[in-house]
Order: sequence, then C-alpha cells, then structure tokens
Amino acid sequence: MLQWALDALLGLGLLWLAWCALMSPNLLKAIVLFVAFGLLMALAWVRLDAPDIALAEAAIGAGLTGALLLAALARLRFAYADEETVGSPAQEEAKVRFPQWLPAVPLLLVVAGLGYVVLSLPPYATGLSTEVTANLESSGVSNPVTAVLLNFRGYDTLLELVVLLVALLGVWSLDGLALGRETAPGPVLDTLSRFLTPVFILVAAYLLWVGAHAPGGAFQAGSVLGAAGVLLLLAGWRFRAGLTELPLRLVLVAGPGAFVIVALVTMLMEGQLLEYSPEQASILILFLETTATFSIGATLAALFFGGRPQDDKEHT
Amino acid sequence: MQTLYLALALFLLVNLGAGMWRIFRGPTAADRMLSAQLFGTTAVAVLLLLAQTKENTALLDVALVFALLAAVTAVAFVRRAWTDQEVDHDSE
Repeated sequence: MLQWALDALLGLGLLWLAWCALMSPNLLKAIVLFVAFGLLMALAWVRLDAPDIALAEAAIGAGLTGALLLAALARLRFAYADEETVGSPAQEEAKVRFPQWLPAVPLLLVVAGLGYVVLSLPPYATGLSTEVTANLESSGVSNPVTAVLLNFRGYDTLLELVVLLVALLGVWSLDGLALGRETAPGPVLDTLSRFLTPVFILVAAYLLWVGAHAPGGAFQAGSVLGAAGVLLLLAGWRFRAGLTELPLRLVLVAGPGAFVIVALVTMLMEGQLLEYSPEQASILILFLETTATFSIGATLAALFFGGRPQDDKEHT
Repeated sequence: MQTLYLALALFLLVNLGAGMWRIFRGPTAADRMLSAQLFGTTAVAVLLLLAQTKENTALLDVALVFALLAAVTAVAFVRRAWTDQEVDHDSE
C-alpha cells in the first residue's frame, strides 16, 4: 500500500511537472520546473530498481542540464535586449506562413510508430540479461551495466562520445554570444568553489572506480567533473590563453581517440572491433573509462562556456 | 522499520507537493529556484530512506551526486539568471 502510494505520487508529480514545464510561457519557470522534474525522475528510476540510470539522471538531468539551460537563458536575455524590436516582425511573419498545428503531424506519426512498436512487443521476454550474466566472468568487470557499455556493446559508447564531441563542435561553429556583464564572484562563491572543487574531483574519481562493480562509470564521473568545471567557470576562473588551444583540444578528443585506437588494435589482434581478450579486458576498460571521463568533463564544461574559448579573451 | 522508512519517504514526497505549488506560483524567480533546491534536499532524504529499505548502498552515491550538483545549479542561477531587482511576471 505504502509503496503503491509512493509510486502513484511520483508518477502524478512527474506528469504534472512535465505539463507545467511545457506550458509555461515564463522560460525561467520552465527551467526550474525541468530541474524539479529531473530530481523526481531520478527518484522514479530508483523505484524502478535502476540505480545506474538514477545516477546518470541525477548528474546530467537534474544537475548539469539545469545549469546549461540557465546559462542559455542568460545569453538569450542579453541577445534579446538588443534585438527585441528587430526580431519580432520576422517572427510574426513566420507564424502566418506556418500554421501552428503543422508540427503536430510528424509528431503524431512518431507517436503512432512508437505505439505500434510497443504494442507489437512480446508480452513476456527475458531480454539479453541471461546472456550478460553468463558472460560477465570474461568481461573484466562485475557490474553488468558497465560490462554492456564498455565491453559487449562498446561501440555504442564510442559513438556516444563522438556525439558529445559533435555537439561541442556545433556550439563552437556557431560562434558563441558573449555574456553581457560578469561581476566579481564575491568571497562566498570564491570560498565555495575552493572548497567544493576538490570534493567534486574526489567524487568523480570514486564514481569512475566504483563503476567496475557497482553503479557508476565514465559518464557519471565525467559529468561530476564537468560540474566542477562549471562551478569554476561561474566563479570567474578562466584558462590561461596558452592552454585553450591545443591542450584543451587534446583533452576533448582523448576519450573518443583512445576508444578508436583500442578498437583498431583489438580488431588487428582479435579480428573483431572492440573485442578484448578476457585477461586484458579489466585494464582496457579502466583505461577507456579514465580517458572518457576527462573528455566528457572537459566537453560538458566547454559546452557550458559557450563559444570557443579564445574568442572570449577580449570579453572576460 | 521498513514501513516506517517508506511512510517517511511518502511524507517527504507529499512535502514536495507544497514545493511544486511554490515553483508554480512564484512569484519571484528566487522563490522558484529555492523551491527547486528544496526538491534537491528532500530528494536526498528520500534516497537515503530508500537506500535503507532496499539495502542498496549505490543509492547513497546517487544522493551524494544530488547534493553536490544542487550547489552548482544554485550558483548557476545566482550568477546567470538572477538580477537584483527581480520582477517576475507569468504573463511574460
């Protein structure tokens, strides 16, 4: 009964928050609702016995995305402060040309397709968990989620890293909009960032290490590391000019790069892409996860920063 | 003991309902953000309770990440979205 009430409350709260976030005309309110939605979503994942996803949701959904959206909103406000009068007539015109219900058509098609797929699933399926459990011995780790992400289906993770990198390239190629004012951080924020940054780094290292046998891993550790970068950026800390060029780029591509090299080497040695021999699997996975953590952290912090770092030198 | 923990978790979730109302009504941006911070703190407490009922220590890590990243969201809000003379209107 209690469990049922807990789940019902979570589900209703999620639906209500999602609806309010979508319908809110006030963007800041929508962002706060989205952050609250992420927190409840993580609790829902815990109730569904998926602590791995709960950890990812806590780190990315509730934590970093909120900060990213807030920074985007600040830039929007700064941009609209100049262009409000110029921008609005063009928007009015666009509204006349495209009826508002038009986006609903492809959306309905997607919903219909998804509905068909869900309905055509077999009512009961064991999935691949028995095979994963049977092969866990040879994967090099004892956490089945890490085994799947880094060993059995390593190429998925490789492509996810590339997606993150492409996202950053997209932001950089858009040539970021400079923030208007950046006041001095003040003693409280300064002290907070000095205290918290080592804790963030420690927690990131812990999550990376614990991923081998419990929920954790490169993405969670990387986003905690990225959060440390965001905190430092917010506290007014900037890279020295020499570090933003090649060294930063090397860190950004280290994760996907290491993955590609390992993939090629294993293909030459074992004949299959990313097929590790059981003896080396453990150390290879740790190596890949460590480089991925640094890359993900640097990428997320760079995404938060916005435009290419060297472009910002004059503004900060 | 399990029932007690679950009942406490339920009580905290009901408290979040009050927080949701505050996010919805505002009136200022700071009200909404503080309410989201309340969500974070309460979620940490719920996670600790659930970790006890399920005897799953991984949930403690989730709570740790929650608590750490809530600070970043708050700092991002203050540094990026908050202005001193905040007039926040829903009809924006």
